[in-house]
Amino acid sequence: MFLEIQYINKSFGKEQIVKDLNFSLAPHKTLSILGKSGCGKTSMLKIIGGLLKADSGNIILDGNDISELEAEKRNIVYLYQEDLLFPHLNVFENIAFGLRIKKQKEAHIQSKVKEMLELLELEDQGQKMPHQLSGGQRQRVSFGRAIIINPALLLLDEPFGSLDAGTRQRMQQLFKDIAHKFKITSLFVTHDLKEAILMGDEIAFMQSGKLKLYKNKEEFIADPSTGVQNEIGFWENLIPKGQNII
Amino acid sequence: MRISLKPFFLSIMVLLILFPFVYLLWLSLSADWSFPQVMPDYFGLKNWKALLISETGLLRSFFQSVIISVSVGFTATLSGFVISRNIAYHPKKNTLTLLSYFPYIISPVVFGACLSYFFLKLGIFGQMTGVIVAQFMISFPYALIFFNSFWGEKTKNMEDLVSTLGGNRLSSFTKVLLPLAKGMLLVCFFQTFLISWFEYGLTSVIGVGKVQTLTIKVFLFIREANYFYGALSSCLLILPPLVLMYINKKYVFNKLT
Amino acid sequence: MKNKEKHIGFILFVVFAVLPFTLAFGYALLYSFGVIGIVNEGFTLKFWKEVFTSSTLGVSFIYSSVIALIGVILSVSLALWIVLKYRESFGNKYLSFIIYMPLAVPGIVSAFFTYQLFAQSGFFARLSYQLNWIETAQQFPDLVNDNWAIGIIITFISLLTPFFILLYLNIYKDERIEELSQLSRALGANKKQIALKVSLPIMLKKSWVLIVLYFIFLLGAYEVPLILGQESPQMLSVLILRELKQFDLTKISEGYVMAVLYTVVIMSATVFIFSRKKLRNNAY
Repeated sequence: MFLEIQYINKSFGKEQIVKDLNFSLAPHKTLSILGKSGCGKTSMLKIIGGLLKADSGNIILDGNDISELEAEKRNIVYLYQEDLLFPHLNVFENIAFGLRIKKQKEAHIQSKVKEMLELLELEDQGQKMPHQLSGGQRQRVSFGRAIIINPALLLLDEPFGSLDAGTRQRMQQLFKDIAHKFKITSLFVTHDLKEAILMGDEIAFMQSGKLKLYKNKEEFIADPSTGVQNEIGFWENLIPKGQNII
Repeated sequence: MRISLKPFFLSIMVLLILFPFVYLLWLSLSADWSFPQVMPDYFGLKNWKALLISETGLLRSFFQSVIISVSVGFTATLSGFVISRNIAYHPKKNTLTLLSYFPYIISPVVFGACLSYFFLKLGIFGQMTGVIVAQFMISFPYALIFFNSFWGEKTKNMEDLVSTLGGNRLSSFTKVLLPLAKGMLLVCFFQTFLISWFEYGLTSVIGVGKVQTLTIKVFLFIREANYFYGALSSCLLILPPLVLMYINKKYVFNKLT
Repeated sequence: MKNKEKHIGFILFVVFAVLPFTLAFGYALLYSFGVIGIVNEGFTLKFWKEVFTSSTLGVSFIYSSVIALIGVILSVSLALWIVLKYRESFGNKYLSFIIYMPLAVPGIVSAFFTYQLFAQSGFFARLSYQLNWIETAQQFPDLVNDNWAIGIIITFISLLTPFFILLYLNIYKDERIEELSQLSRALGANKKQIALKVSLPIMLKKSWVLIVLYFIFLLGAYEVPLILGQESPQMLSVLILRELKQFDLTKISEGYVMAVLYTVVIMSATVFIFSRKKLRNNAY
């Protein structure tokens, strides 16, 4: 498999945050992970991204053990719920950031960033500063900045959490398109049931540090702990009343 | 109808604030002014011309003070910025912050007096280097405390983001952290510059009269009862901060709570 | 690699911030017990006994505390009064710069200025003479180097008040006291009640750490009492320095006893502030 996570554990003091994390993911696939806040999902992502050291376990990416590698050498980008755009750089320079770090040629940077701006429908926004953008635009810049350096793996931590419902829906579609176009492999963490089902090729559920993978969406839906059944029940209870009204 | 006291109050306040500046300038332009005259016998540029004569050493003191304060402000701000990061992310952050308050809060002159033995041993007693080192020791803790608030959750996330985008520690400093902290760095530089520029006691103890910054000069002139030169050196002392403040007043004031 | 960086930063912190203070304190401590010092002959408690039997340090402590307390209380009260009563005026373009100007004046110049105005041959004495209020300089009330430390207190107030005015103007804005006051008025509070129950409590709560900090700074003030103080009692820093710099070498150790005691008090005060308020985001 492209990404293999083997027996990762992490504790803060006495509290075990991640327990025996074990899963694998094929290339160009998105694994969506449903979990409430505090379930250990952020720690898990940070361990995979190299921002947090695991107590034990291995991370294999494309056949190489990267467990001991520093974050900047892993080629894994971690995206926060906050867009974290650099406030002192304009949109163009924000997106170009990773390329400049890698000291790529100016002409190459210019053409790649322009291409990315078009793709994100931000052609006219290149010279704007982050504070002049809307929430959705900022999140798109944040995506562009990550994807442009061609990461082997993208980690998304509630990326649409702070957006309103409409923007959120458009961003979900945009992400799916981009992920497909750039053949991105990603882990997509969310606390939103619908988003989890919608975004993932594979699906998993995380609760108090344990991750459970499902063979398919049907199995996920059937599992009462995910809350899908509860949700279905809620709507079903509503429908008869609605019919009465009609 | 009630008479508003506001314009009256405002005028009084403006007068009260401006009076010291005008008075000191006036005094620096005066000579031969004995009690009980309200106006001096001489009023002119005599004292200011004397400024240019090396005899008073005022011009020399002025430039020496500039060199000392710029060095102190620059080194304290930069090292304070970089090192405060280690403090802020340290597990024992609160204890370390407490430790950095001690040298900041203690009377600098007492601090300096207890340290003078070590300055003597290091051979920097009575030297400009010694004064710079001594003033650095009280302004560096200030800078540490000052930058404490910069290193929060959001800055940490920003640093993490830079490293996942492939940047190392150096590029995260040069490309993100320093530009982000630009405003704070300026304020801190100005504040530490002022700590040094205004410092008297510590400088007198470590400089032992050999390093004559402007504050030392003011004091010497007061001791000699040469109030006109005293006022003149006071003007030199007030002028640079006033100019900087005029350029941007936000550099001057920050709250340390 | 990363760990190494962490250690270097920590070591620099210790070298620049912790070590000098520790050395100074250690040196003073050893000196006070006669362990080091040119004329000392080894460990002894006699200097400590000497300091505790003489009242000089105790008196100086009380004297300095009272002066510092009066200075801080008057400055804070004055600043609060001005901000609550006249804050709209500070929106004025000129005044908003003028109010910053006093911050460009160092303590030593302030003290010199106070001396120039209030001394018996000073500006006000001259005016009084011209107005025929006094006939000789000696008739003018002694306001500098005086028993009541009036000159020192005036200077402290002139140094602190502008700072506190600016502080309270900021707090007023940041804490949205204007909006809270309007809300209180809508709930039926009158002007006095708003000031006493809303504005003042918020402003004092937000600034108490700074008030204590400035009290400690005034307690250790040096150049102002050096210029405007009297022979005895003296404020702490002046007294300690006089003892440390005196010609009678056998007395120097007593100066270090005082330095140690002063430092311990300051440290305890700092620990106290910290225990009351976690100073995590101290500077902003």
